[in-house]
Amino acid sequence: MRKLSTVLLAGLVVTAGAGTALAADKTEISVSRFFGACEADYGSVTDVTKANGECGIITALINKFNAESTTTVVKPEIVEWPGYDQLTARIRSGEPPVISVMHEAVISNYSSRGLLEPLDEDFAKAGIDVNDMTDAARQGVTKDGKIFAMPFDTHTWLWHINMNLFKQAGLVDEAGKPILPKSTEELFAQAEQFKQKTGKPYFISTLANETAFYTRTFDTLLYQQNADFFADPNKVNFSSPEAKGALQLLSDIYTKDYTTKNQDYAASVSSFAAGDGGVFICGTWLVDTYDQEAKKEGVALSNGYAVMPFPQIYSGSPRVWADGHSWVLLKQDLSDAQRASAIEFMKFLWDNNYEWARTGHLPIRKSIIDSDQFKALPFRADLAPLAVNGTALPSAVKLQFSIQDIEGEEVGSAMRGDKPVDQALADAESRINELLANAK
Amino acid sequence: MTDVTLSSARPVAAKRPGGASIGPRWTNALFVAPYMVFYVLLLVYPLFKGIWMSLLQSDMFDDTSKFSGLANYYRLFNDKVFIGTVWNTVLFVVMTVPVFVVIGLLLALALNRSDRTAAALRAIFFGTSVLSVTIVTIIWKMMYMPGNGAIASVMRYFGLDPIAFTTTASLALPAIAITTIWWIIGLPMMLFLAALQQIPGELYEAAALDNASRARSFWSITLPSIRRTMLVVVIYEIVAQFQLFGQAQLLTQGGPNNASRPIVQFIYEQGFRSWNLGYAAAASEILFVIMAVAALAQFFASRKRVEE
Repeated sequence: MRKLSTVLLAGLVVTAGAGTALAADKTEISVSRFFGACEADYGSVTDVTKANGECGIITALINKFNAESTTTVVKPEIVEWPGYDQLTARIRSGEPPVISVMHEAVISNYSSRGLLEPLDEDFAKAGIDVNDMTDAARQGVTKDGKIFAMPFDTHTWLWHINMNLFKQAGLVDEAGKPILPKSTEELFAQAEQFKQKTGKPYFISTLANETAFYTRTFDTLLYQQNADFFADPNKVNFSSPEAKGALQLLSDIYTKDYTTKNQDYAASVSSFAAGDGGVFICGTWLVDTYDQEAKKEGVALSNGYAVMPFPQIYSGSPRVWADGHSWVLLKQDLSDAQRASAIEFMKFLWDNNYEWARTGHLPIRKSIIDSDQFKALPFRADLAPLAVNGTALPSAVKLQFSIQDIEGEEVGSAMRGDKPVDQALADAESRINELLANAK
Repeated sequence: MTDVTLSSARPVAAKRPGGASIGPRWTNALFVAPYMVFYVLLLVYPLFKGIWMSLLQSDMFDDTSKFSGLANYYRLFNDKVFIGTVWNTVLFVVMTVPVFVVIGLLLALALNRSDRTAAALRAIFFGTSVLSVTIVTIIWKMMYMPGNGAIASVMRYFGLDPIAFTTTASLALPAIAITTIWWIIGLPMMLFLAALQQIPGELYEAAALDNASRARSFWSITLPSIRRTMLVVVIYEIVAQFQLFGQAQLLTQGGPNNASRPIVQFIYEQGFRSWNLGYAAAASEILFVIMAVAALAQFFASRKRVEE
C-alpha cells in the first residue's frame, strides 16, 4: 500500500513538473480588453462556434488560441468599457499590457505620441494580406501612412426592432418587413401610431449615465443631412440649421414621450428584451444576442426580432455613425519572443474574423464579407450596405473620445430639456473648440 | 602667593560641566529625519511640483511642456464647466458637513451606552464606512433606479410616480449627498462617541443634584466638552467632502447637464481623458486654496468661540 502511494505521488510530481515545464516554455503576453467577463459560462469553451455574444466569442477565441498555440499563452486582462483611463494610467506608470483593444477613433491619440508600435512589417512577415482589409478598416487603423493596429470589426448604429409589437402597431408590410420612416414627419406619425396601438413608447433609449447614444445618434442625423461639421479638423461647427434640426428632433422625441426615459445601458438592453418598446437604437454588437433571445419560446422577442440600418429620415444620404474595434501593440521593451507572440495572436484573430462577425459586427476582411458563409448569417443582407455607409470622424480630429463625451453631454442636456437647443449647441461647439485649441 | 596667582597665570579655561547641554544638537534631527524625508518626498515636493505644472502647457505623454504663466488659471476662470464644478462642490459640502455633525452627534448620544444593542448598532452604523465606493454606488444605484429601483418600487406601491434621482438636474447632487452620508456617517459618530465617553460623570452628577434638565446638561456640559472634537469633525469633513469624486463619477458621471460634476472629477477628466496636465494641475491648486480657506476659516471661528 505504502509502495503504491509512493509510486502515485511520484507520478503526480512528474506529471505536474512536465506540465509546468510545458507552460514555462510558452511566452506569456497580456491582452487588455473590454467586452465584459463571462468566465462562468465560457471559461473552458474552446469551440468558438458554441459561443455567442461579444463576451462569449472573445473568451472562446482566447481559450482556443491558448489551447492551440505551442509557443504563446495569452493572459486576458478585462477592463470596464472603454478602459482608456486605465490604459493611460498603465502606460504612464510604465506597465502597459502587451496588446490592448482600442477603438479606431482613439488610435491617433496614442500613435501620434509614439505610444504604439507600427505593424506593417510584422503583418507582412506573418502573411497578413492588408489588401484584404475593408476600406473602412484599413483607413481606421492607418495613421500617417502606417498601420498601427489589427482591425477587428466595423461597428455601427442600428435599429433593433421588436416585430411582435410592430405587428400589433400595424407597422409590418406584406413581405413581413418592418415599415420604417422615410422622413421626420413619418417618424413622428409612426411613433404616435405605435404608442396608440401598443401603449408603449416607440423607442427604447440609453439616456442615463452615458453619452454614447446622444453622440452617435446626433452624428448620424448630421451625416444624413450631409452636414460637414468637422470640415476643419481643429474646429467643430454646430451652428448650422442641420444641427439645430437634428437636436430639435431628439428633443421632440423626448418631450412627446416617444422614448423610454432614465434608463442606463444595462436597463435599456434588458428593457428591449422585455418588450418595453418597439425600436432600440444601439449597435451591431447586440444582433447575435437578441437573435438568440428571439429563438426562445415564451419571451417578448420570441420569433419577433429584426434589425435594420438606421433608416434614412433626411433626404441627404444614408450615412451613419461608425467606428471599429482593433488591437494595438503598446510600445515598450518587448523581447523578440513577446513580439512574435503578439503578432501570432493578432494573426489568429485575423484568421478567425468570421467568428467575431457572428456578434453582429461587420467583418474587416473583404473575403469574409463576400463569402457565402457570412451572407448566410441572419440579417446580414439588410446590414451589408453599412460597410459603405458607416462614417467615422476624420482621423485628423484629435481627442475624439473627449469630443464625443462633450457632444453627448450637451446633446443630452437639450434632449432632456435641461437646456435650450440653441444654448446646448453653442456650448458644445465652444467646449469642443476650446478642447481642440489646447490639444497637442 | 596671592600676587603670583593673580599676575602671572593666564586664566585656565573652565571645563564645561557635564549633564544637560545648552544650545541646539543637530544630531537630534535624526529622530525626525525618516518622517521628514517621506514628508518632503510625498507632500512638499508634489505640492510645489503641482504648482509648477499649473504654470505649464503640459501634455500627459508629450514632453514638450512650455511655460505659460497664468494662462491655465485665466482659462479656468472663463470655463463655465469649471465654475459649475466649484459651485457644485461647495453646495455638496454645505449639504453634507452639517448633516455629518448633527446626525453623527445624535447617533453618538443615542448609542453612548454599554448594552449589547448599542454595541450592535454602533457596529452596524460604522459598518458602511468600510465598504468601497464601488460597492456603495452599486447599492445606491439599485435604490435610485427609476425602473426597478427599491425607492421606485415603494413609490409605485403607494401609487406615486417614481422619481428619477440621478437623471434629474435638481436631484442628482442631493442623491449623491444622501449616498455619501449613508456611507460614512459612522466615522463622525465614532469620534463623537469617543469624546462623549471622556466627559467625567461627576459633571452630570453635579448637574443632577442642581436639578438641571437634560437639555440644560447637554447645552452646558456636553457641548462645551466635545467642542474640540466637533472642530475636528467639521474640518475633517470639509476637507474630505471637497474631494468628492467616486460617488459622482459612478452614480451620475457628473450629469445631467454638469449638475453633479465636482472639481475632482473635472481634474480627473482634464488629466486622464484630455491629457491636459497643466490645466488639471491649475484646477487642483484652486481646489487646494478653497479647501485651505474653508478649513482655516472654520478653525479660527471655532478657536475664537473656545477662547470666549
